[in-house]
Amino acid sequence: MAAVHTRRRVVNVVALTLSGCATLLGLVFLAWILWVTLKNGLGAIDWKLFSKITAYADQGGLSNAIVGSLVMDAIALLICAPVGVLAGAFLAEYAHRSKLGATIRFLNDILLSAPSIVLGLFVYVIVVLPMSNLTHGAVSFSGLAGSIALALIGLPVIVRTTDEMLQLVPGTLREAALSLGIPQWKMTVQVLMRAATSGIVTGVLLALARLAGETAPLLFTAFGNNFMAWHPLDKMESLPVAIYQYTNDPNPALHAIAWAGALLITLFVLTLSLLTRLLFSRKKVPHE
Amino acid sequence: MNDIAANDPAGMAGVLPAQTKIAVRGLDFFYGGARALKEISMAIPEKQVTAIIGPSGCGKSTLLRVFNRIYAIYPGLRASGEVLLDGENVLDPSYSMNRLRSKVGMVFQKPVPFPMTIFENVAYGIRHHEKLSKADMEVRVEQALRRAALWDEVKDKLKRSALGLSGGQQQRLCIARGIALKPEVLLLDEPTSALDPIATGRIEQLVEELKRDYTIVIVTHNMQQAARVSDRTAFMYMGELIEFDATEKIFTKPSKKQTEDYITGRFG
Repeated sequence: MAAVHTRRRVVNVVALTLSGCATLLGLVFLAWILWVTLKNGLGAIDWKLFSKITAYADQGGLSNAIVGSLVMDAIALLICAPVGVLAGAFLAEYAHRSKLGATIRFLNDILLSAPSIVLGLFVYVIVVLPMSNLTHGAVSFSGLAGSIALALIGLPVIVRTTDEMLQLVPGTLREAALSLGIPQWKMTVQVLMRAATSGIVTGVLLALARLAGETAPLLFTAFGNNFMAWHPLDKMESLPVAIYQYTNDPNPALHAIAWAGALLITLFVLTLSLLTRLLFSRKKVPHE
Repeated sequence: MNDIAANDPAGMAGVLPAQTKIAVRGLDFFYGGARALKEISMAIPEKQVTAIIGPSGCGKSTLLRVFNRIYAIYPGLRASGEVLLDGENVLDPSYSMNRLRSKVGMVFQKPVPFPMTIFENVAYGIRHHEKLSKADMEVRVEQALRRAALWDEVKDKLKRSALGLSGGQQQRLCIARGIALKPEVLLLDEPTSALDPIATGRIEQLVEELKRDYTIVIVTHNMQQAARVSDRTAFMYMGELIEFDATEKIFTKPSKKQTEDYITGRFG
């Protein structure tokens, strides 16, 4: 008896220590990344960063990149949020246990893990090239193309979280609505989605956080632009692409600006996560 | 041994004073390949409370869920036979689901208020079936809440989320939501199993009052509850209807040995 207890206690201590160390390892790197970004980025943050465009190089800022990122992220979200939520609702409510549903879920998981550079090339082939041919070169690379590539990054995230969150809604709520004679689509939109709102919004914000940091899909789509561009059919600069270009430059002043840009993205994503937490900390699981 | 009752498992004898609201004839039910109901025939009288009792897995909830065809939302479930509501077979695919569900309301084991305000919980179902003016809707919602004995407790917080109500209040809200559609039949699937004794008492009292206007079928685990609230009781076992008779008779001198064993706690 005693021997068994001692063994269990030892196993417990070992397991706790190991998992504690693993957690610590992860947290150390996270803190380290934040620290390095803060240390290098804070010093370079000034008014110029927000007021001047990248055309001035080390005398300039990132205003066009910030605007480009905001515009493209917004359009990307406008594309992938409705499509993703509807697709997720389809999976959870209409194709829950069907073969079709399983297949779509599998394909969605593949899209979720697809290398982002591949998505960039894909959009280059299906949007940028045809656009260029159609307009005889007037419009080729564009913010819109960049947004579409980013939307492809965010889409599977939203599909998956919406699907999962709706499945967490207890079946009794479905039965209750249907037993009142409410048709399925109405029940899905007006009852289930409302019950799962916090989860679905969390998924959308997570998708936004994910696509805001992407560089690769933008290289062949939005391309980059040293001047301010608001129009989605123009080439557009973005924070990740600006960082990528500046870190490839030998000029240390540009490195500093790149760090400031990195800090901006980090803060943006961090704020999104915190906002999500703050908004929905009370209710993780829909209903109950 | 009562010969009439023995030859009459459907309990047709003795219901003559009341009209039959739901007549079940040769009802079988299958979960995939498993047969959960076997040749059920019974006549549920109008404006009375009919209780269905029996051990877990005997098919009592399954039977209840056939009456409004709610089982049909799950693939692989199948019913055959007839369930005549006022003489019309509700299992007939041509019987409109919309019509059926506005005639037959259902309250579930766990209270499931919608994630909306208290007012909206009741108004939501009405709005789907009828176009009412704002004033008419308010009257209708108040009526339903009054009928469900909830009005006094919620009249000052109709705009608040229903999720903030207690379990017993939520369950009465679900009853209000059901009767707001002015159904003819109310199906109660173990409506008090998640509630405390006081909330249970209120629901039982409510059932007593509601039977003046509605035909009520209640599935319950609790035999005392069946004895307290029902006029007639059906005892089911292993998917079969063993006995269906006046509640008093079922609990004092049941005609079947199985019923007696269950009632006296020898199994189940």
